[in-house]
Amino acid sequence: MNSVESQVMVILGARPREARHLLAILQEIQAAFRYLPKEALLIVAGALGISAARVFSVAGFYKALSFTPKGERLLTVCQGTACHLRGSGKLIESLQSRLGFKIGQSSSDGRLGLESVNCLGACALAPVATVDGAVHGHLTPEKALELI
Amino acid sequence: MPHTLPKVTGTIDGLKFEVSPGTTLLEAAKTLGITIPTLCHHPGLPPDGNCRLCLVESGKKLLPSCVFPLRESGGAFSTQSPMVFEARAFVVTLLLSRAPKDKNLLKLAEVYGAQADPLLSDGEDGCLRCARCVRACRAGGSEAIALIGRSRERKVAGPFFEPPIDCVGCLACARSCPTGVIAFGEEPRSIWGRDFDLVKCPRCGRPIGTPEELKRAGLTDPLCPDCRRREFSASLLELPEASFTGY
Repeated sequence: MNSVESQVMVILGARPREARHLLAILQEIQAAFRYLPKEALLIVAGALGISAARVFSVAGFYKALSFTPKGERLLTVCQGTACHLRGSGKLIESLQSRLGFKIGQSSSDGRLGLESVNCLGACALAPVATVDGAVHGHLTPEKALELI
Repeated sequence: MPHTLPKVTGTIDGLKFEVSPGTTLLEAAKTLGITIPTLCHHPGLPPDGNCRLCLVESGKKLLPSCVFPLRESGGAFSTQSPMVFEARAFVVTLLLSRAPKDKNLLKLAEVYGAQADPLLSDGEDGCLRCARCVRACRAGGSEAIALIGRSRERKVAGPFFEPPIDCVGCLACARSCPTGVIAFGEEPRSIWGRDFDLVKCPRCGRPIGTPEELKRAGLTDPLCPDCRRREFSASLLELPEASFTGY
């Protein structure tokens, strides 16, 4: 058994093998590998007795699930209305050009991922970003880069 | 005497209907001879309410009739009101943004005075995302394809956007597509980027289906339906089969 297979088997072992647990299983696989390996999805489909097409359809529906590896650390910039007015567009442009990759991508060494979100609900702190879930407000490109 | 639930009654366009509880509004309309336009509905498949063309009005509210089960009596529905007409015109406009050249859709556009809006143009790949193909595939016993992604990126595809591993090449998806946009080859058999062998009837040589399809159906006896029927009737009559050639 290779490492993907053995890790997926551990995740599968924690629950009854029922289709209703599909999303929870996918979330755990995402957490373990930072993406959903094709091999893992095929194992899940077989174990839960559902088609690969259905697993892929569910996996492709959620933004939290990814088919390509996400960065180890994640910088998520808010693009909500308040942040937009406070210059999140400029912030993102500047981050993209300084980091050398775009929103939705990761650095070539896989250590940092850049994403956007439509509102974090912290509009008073606009423009806002999170680093691995921790919120940072009143950002400038310099401050954002310091965070990571 | 078998117990029967009381019938559900109401009116559609002023005409009284009486149906068993759970009958959909679309089916009830049919019993009155009222035609409601549909695209994603197929009588042999579970309804999904995806295309929204079958909208009808009930007290200033719009309902998708193909997925609306009648449970209570007293409903009054209209399939012809200005509200319905306007809603369907908008639905047709939206559907045209995906399949601007579809004949049925263009006919509907004429009926409802709708036309493609260039601002809404959306890929125009001819697929309405109505999932009739997906439901046909599931009804056949496979689930090779699915609607994948969200919003504008949503499309019908095999897992990993690859030729679907679970496809048996039965062509049910292509044949159930309301816009006929799924490309396939009959003979030689190909669909979704996969090629299939065809099993021929050993008696008459007519292709019966793909090996995968026959396996799914549990058919071990590979005669075509006609030859099987002929063989069966011959066995009943205990006559030499030669008597039945030339049918």
